[in-house]
Amino acid sequence: MTDDARAGAARPSPSRARADRALAYLLLAPACVLLMGLIAYPLLRAVWLSVHDVRLLQLGTATYVGAAQYLASWADPVFWTSVRQTVIWTVGIVGAQLVFGMCGALLLNKPFRGRAFWRGVALIPWASSSVLVAMMWLWLLDSNYGVLNDVLRRLGLLHTAFAWLAEPATALPAVMLAAVWQGTPFFAVMLLAGLQAIPEDLYEAARIDGGGGWAAFRYVTLPLLRPTILITTMLRTMWIANYMDLTFVMTGGGPGVATLTVPLYAYFAAYKRLAIGAGAAVAMQLAVALAGAVLIYMRLLGSVEAVE
Amino acid sequence: MVRQRGASWCARLLGVLLVVAVSGWLGVMPGTAQAPTTVVNYWLWLDDPTDPMFPALIKEFNDTHPGITVQPQVIPLAQFHDKLVTAISAGSGPDVSRFKDWWLGEFVQAGALEPLSSYIAHWNGRADVIQNLWNTGRISPTGLVYMMPHQFITFYMYYRKDWFQQAGVQPPRTFDEFVAAAKKFTDPSHNRYGFGLRGGDGGQDQWLAFMVAGGARMVDPLGHVVINSPKAVAVNQWYIDLYRTQKVAPPSAPSDAYAQVLGAFEGGITAMFAHHVGSSVLVTGKLGASAVGVVPIPVADPKAPATMATMAGNVMLRESGHKAAAWTFLSWLTERGAMDEWSRSRQGQLPVLTSLASSSFYQTNVFFTTSFDEAKYAITWPGLPGVGYVSAALWQQVMQQALLGQISSQQMLDRIATALESK
Amino acid sequence: MSRTFRNLPHRVLLTLWLGLVVIPYVWMLVTSLKNQQELYVFPVRYWPAHPTLAGFAQLFQSTPFPRYMVNSVVVATSTCIIALTAATAASYALSRLPMRGKRVLLFVFLATQLFPAILLVIPLFVIMRSLHLLNTYGALILADSAFAVPFSTWLMTGFFNALPRELDEAATIDGCGRLQAFRYVLLPLVAPGFAAAGTYIFLYSWNEFIYALTFTADTSARTLPVGLQTFMGEFIIRWDLLMAGGVITAVPVIVLFMFVQRELIAGLTAGAVKG
Repeated sequence: MTDDARAGAARPSPSRARADRALAYLLLAPACVLLMGLIAYPLLRAVWLSVHDVRLLQLGTATYVGAAQYLASWADPVFWTSVRQTVIWTVGIVGAQLVFGMCGALLLNKPFRGRAFWRGVALIPWASSSVLVAMMWLWLLDSNYGVLNDVLRRLGLLHTAFAWLAEPATALPAVMLAAVWQGTPFFAVMLLAGLQAIPEDLYEAARIDGGGGWAAFRYVTLPLLRPTILITTMLRTMWIANYMDLTFVMTGGGPGVATLTVPLYAYFAAYKRLAIGAGAAVAMQLAVALAGAVLIYMRLLGSVEAVE
Repeated sequence: MVRQRGASWCARLLGVLLVVAVSGWLGVMPGTAQAPTTVVNYWLWLDDPTDPMFPALIKEFNDTHPGITVQPQVIPLAQFHDKLVTAISAGSGPDVSRFKDWWLGEFVQAGALEPLSSYIAHWNGRADVIQNLWNTGRISPTGLVYMMPHQFITFYMYYRKDWFQQAGVQPPRTFDEFVAAAKKFTDPSHNRYGFGLRGGDGGQDQWLAFMVAGGARMVDPLGHVVINSPKAVAVNQWYIDLYRTQKVAPPSAPSDAYAQVLGAFEGGITAMFAHHVGSSVLVTGKLGASAVGVVPIPVADPKAPATMATMAGNVMLRESGHKAAAWTFLSWLTERGAMDEWSRSRQGQLPVLTSLASSSFYQTNVFFTTSFDEAKYAITWPGLPGVGYVSAALWQQVMQQALLGQISSQQMLDRIATALESK
Repeated sequence: MSRTFRNLPHRVLLTLWLGLVVIPYVWMLVTSLKNQQELYVFPVRYWPAHPTLAGFAQLFQSTPFPRYMVNSVVVATSTCIIALTAATAASYALSRLPMRGKRVLLFVFLATQLFPAILLVIPLFVIMRSLHLLNTYGALILADSAFAVPFSTWLMTGFFNALPRELDEAATIDGCGRLQAFRYVLLPLVAPGFAAAGTYIFLYSWNEFIYALTFTADTSARTLPVGLQTFMGEFIIRWDLLMAGGVITAVPVIVLFMFVQRELIAGLTAGAVKG
């Protein structure tokens, strides 16, 4: 990851260096062109759209409205509901994935026969399409014929056909459950890699010092795993906050607005209300919030690395 | 070693995929057909996508019109509006599309539809169309016609004739009779409920039916939005109370869509549910004609009855490159032969032609006659652009919130009014 | 840490976890094999008495699912090729060639992952429309490639960096130019990274939903995830057909994934640990 500091190595000739630089730009060109054209430019376009009133069926006309669309979103109580629910959604899912992922990593850390195979199996939910995950869980959570309700009925805990996704109190947790199921394996595998990088003799040292399993976990595992935890959590936070596939397919934001998160709110503004500019304004706010979150993570990461 | 083995598997797999991909791209490239005929793309939804009526109808047209080939695309109604809007914005919309009056105002304002008035003026089938139905294709009573009438429905109410007879209860005609009957058949311990209230996707039509039956209106005769008037708020509260205080609807009502309310009625869970003639074949098929009865939507004031009606018509997109061929197909659908086939099928709705309406098949079917009778006083959605958003997303959102007690009746109707009034 | 787990609790917990992972797929498979009479039985029947493949037959004969599969293969494979090429070229440059601002560039690459899909899909829709790419493979391939490149570049750069410079120099001494050094020396050694990045790109493109949803209008370019979602809208009461569609959507990915999961995991975790 370091630059080409080759102490004592021979310096290349100036013409070679120039050729190398030209080659470097040439090789970087395809990637940069793709990113400029399909990410950087749309980003600027999104900013432009957010300050113009543009309609989906009339994309030729745009009226400059300044911050009006931003202000309109702040005046909408449904917007604030979606913000609140996005926070619950993100913190809840990432937290659960971290905890269960940690357990999964610890389980996979101990060698057993066929571990490489089962580790792959465990990752299949992460590799599956979100529509597929949504559909499987819709069927599992079906109020009459779903496996979950059937098991609860056989255990005597349920007596009526409970519609998990139709009750406002349980709809969001139910979709979050599907998201946790889908994403935990990724966390587990990342944390497992971090676990396996911890040298055995550190655990030896902890044991010699008289610490038990919990002490070893607290004073050896966790501190050394912190960078991995931070990076993985940061990536997952960004991804989960933006994730709208599951809510879109499973509940469409309902019942009422119980499962509406900010990306879905922006999507509806753009594609149901046909107000493209308003949708862009909401999406911009999400991007800014996430950028702020990343900065916080980077500072935490920086402070961790400074201590190491 | 294992890593390299995996890598060589990848290489082989990529090779295979490459072959499939290239042949896929070459062989099945999206684009215009190579046939010498004009291709007319037709988008539609079908309540029953497995109905053989429709493929047979398309084949009949293609066989009898050698220069034109119609290529249909069936899309579920719940996604139809979104997909059509996206396609038109993308410049890849169809030539002809099945259409609801919900979306007429929105699309006409955006200039996406081709006006049909000049085509209709030269069409010899125009005299047979029930004359006052032309208005469903206009956004103002004197404006151009943008949608060709095709299948018309008025909302009525199914009830379990066998249950009512057994209990000695008359089918309800007024709001009060309706609530009393619903209560009589509600027994949560046996999973029985009086009325299958539909708070989920697509439930806005039957909601409007009850609203107008109770005396509320969306717009007044001058065109002002009055859906949040005190009268409307009161009727809406009555509707909400069916679920919240009277508890005559199943607990799942706020999110029940068509499949759920139909399933509940067929499964013996509800005693009544509101729908239209399009489901009559399905319902009587499942329960038997002796178990299913039909009445007009109960009204608050028998001297001022009302129900709602909605038109599923066909429109021509302004961006179509084959307007003549598109018109040939569009008008053919509303001619007697095709219309009769469609209306008689297992998802058939009211034919819009006078010659058919008076024919014996429809006059001897109680579901059709009830619907035709109601058509005399039925009210349709107004042709406002905001109706598109209300029907596509807003109604369901606020209706569910109101049913769940999160917002009040006034708040719900205020939000709908705001959407209807927006430009 | 492993000392605190005696064998039995470890086995039990592991089985529980893996069971929770596998059960939804198994249940989907079982449901897809049921006939309509057994589908809505109360209480739930866990094993069909009369399993049938009728659902799959109907899926292949009278739905656009075969077309969806072809579309997905075309888009995912093309994306793989384009993104891998761009990523490999870029990562070689970042790892082996002298230039200023490498760390900044890599950081900028990663920063592009920050932006929500919903933020970019709206202007991208407008852009693709003016390029007349909407409702074609091109829109999806370009968008997927652009979003897959940053992560793949980061991945491949790590792999290139892990190979010592001495290899390049040894090859040069033997008379190889840069291209030959790359082709005969570096490429074989970086093949696992190739496989990891390629698999990641393929999976990403295959499973991608939001762009596929908004950029396609009819079945001509519609990919499997969107096809499945459309199918759900139409047949929401026919869970046997839906589950058959799900099995078709899931199986190719699972098979592919199990073949390359070792390389993929190695590639993903290499970055997480080194940071």
